[in-house]
Amino acid sequence: MNLENKQQKISTLYPLIPVSLFLLFWEFFAKIGVINQALLSCPSQILSEMWNLLIAKKIGDCPILLLHIYSSLYRLVIAFSVSTILAVSLGILMGTNKYIYRFFDPIITLLMPIPGIAWAPILMLWLGFGDPTIITVGAIAAFFPIVHNTCYGVRSIEKEIVWSAELLGVNKPTLLFKVCLPWATPYLLTGFKLGLARGWRTLIAVEMIAASLWGLGFMIFDARDYLRPSIIYGGIIILALIYLLLEKGLLRWIEKKTIEKWGILHEKT
Amino acid sequence: MRKPKHEFFNKKIKDTTQFIFPFTVVISTWQLLTQCGIISENLIPSPLSILYTIFSLLSPKPLLLIHLWKSVYRLTLGYSLGVTLGILIGVAMGINKSLEKTFSPIISFFISIPTIAWVPLFLILLGLGDETIITAIFLGSFFPVIYNTLNGVKSVKKELVWASEIMGANQTTITFKVLIPGSLTSIIAGLRLATGYAWRALVGAEMLAAAKWGIGYMIYAAKAFYEIKVMFAGLVIIAIGGLLLDHLLMGYLEKETIEKWGLVAKR
Repeated sequence: MNLENKQQKISTLYPLIPVSLFLLFWEFFAKIGVINQALLSCPSQILSEMWNLLIAKKIGDCPILLLHIYSSLYRLVIAFSVSTILAVSLGILMGTNKYIYRFFDPIITLLMPIPGIAWAPILMLWLGFGDPTIITVGAIAAFFPIVHNTCYGVRSIEKEIVWSAELLGVNKPTLLFKVCLPWATPYLLTGFKLGLARGWRTLIAVEMIAASLWGLGFMIFDARDYLRPSIIYGGIIILALIYLLLEKGLLRWIEKKTIEKWGILHEKT
Repeated sequence: MRKPKHEFFNKKIKDTTQFIFPFTVVISTWQLLTQCGIISENLIPSPLSILYTIFSLLSPKPLLLIHLWKSVYRLTLGYSLGVTLGILIGVAMGINKSLEKTFSPIISFFISIPTIAWVPLFLILLGLGDETIITAIFLGSFFPVIYNTLNGVKSVKKELVWASEIMGANQTTITFKVLIPGSLTSIIAGLRLATGYAWRALVGAEMLAAAKWGIGYMIYAAKAFYEIKVMFAGLVIIAIGGLLLDHLLMGYLEKETIEKWGLVAKR
């Protein structure tokens, strides 16, 4: 047992070897001038640049980097909650009513593969630069996976379960909230995961073309104009970290609190 | 028992009408609303005028076809590169334990980077144009394919590998006859995921980095001239293109391989 634990600990350290080797070589070649530092800034430069943005450069009391992160996350939260509310309600309606399903399913099938960012130019004409456009496009991108999965989950419920609940004399709302929704929770969570990923990616993309001075996407794209690759690298790393935190931290936590606790992992998700 | 042919066709016709019906309702309401002036034509053009715009982009000079051709060319190149390398590396990681342990955390880190975030970097390194866009598409499709291939190879039952080892198969035979066919369901799921990623990366990267052509560029450039009809026309094309890619191409691939071989249930 103890040995196994130790081995596991050692094996989590494995990826550090190639990463640190890679970073060392990168740093070394940049220092001796084989790599052009104006194009591929070295790791130490990236670190110092991020440190600068985090500590030294401030607007008022707040460091610039935190402001960028804050405005991206703020947009994500609004976009994701709006689209979750709309998508889950539509998904439930589609799941429970055959006619609504037949009407909306083809439309969703057609609209789902449209990349969220393709809506951005049109929405920029309607809503202008800045938050309204970015949030709307993010919400559109997150909407479709959630609808799709909610509807699929509610529809996938076994008929016998519904029948037995009906035999026991439950009314419609109870059937929905106590039977259908718990059953569909794993699918809902899959939908949230996909929706979060698509919403976040689209949000960053739209920030690049329609941002209003703030946001991580804007920060990265703006750094290109001033030829500051170190900010781009730093931004990319921060984007990945935030997403990992959201998915592996937040969604995993929700998963543990709901479906794992209830013991209804009836799908291989 | 096989169904008689006419019944099969009847079902097809019924499905098609059911698919088309909601669009007829939406489009005719939309047309009516713009006709009556309830929706301003400057903000949301009517369906007929969007159709007209598509034709005008096609008929005197086939601009739309050039845009499409450019996009398809970039997509094909980036996607096939990403898929080939992705499957190769995925299989290698699935076979070699220490390779997997070393690189799989790195890959899950890279998967969580939005593809579009690379584009500004490539703009510095490679400049405007094809190289940047193709590289973005490559990265977009590369990581999901690796991830799914790796999971597929890992999920092949140990007993199958042992059995073939006992029967004297060498590593090459095991790889090509056991591991790859066994993980095909997962690989194809990865390919499907990757088409979505590649399609999104294409449109996004073309907006930021296309020099002159491409369907994403067409939409983005139309914004500067306030040509909202062209933008809607582009959206229609993108929707149809995405649908074709996902349902026809990937659906066909699934039907011809894993469904035909009985690896998954027919839908």
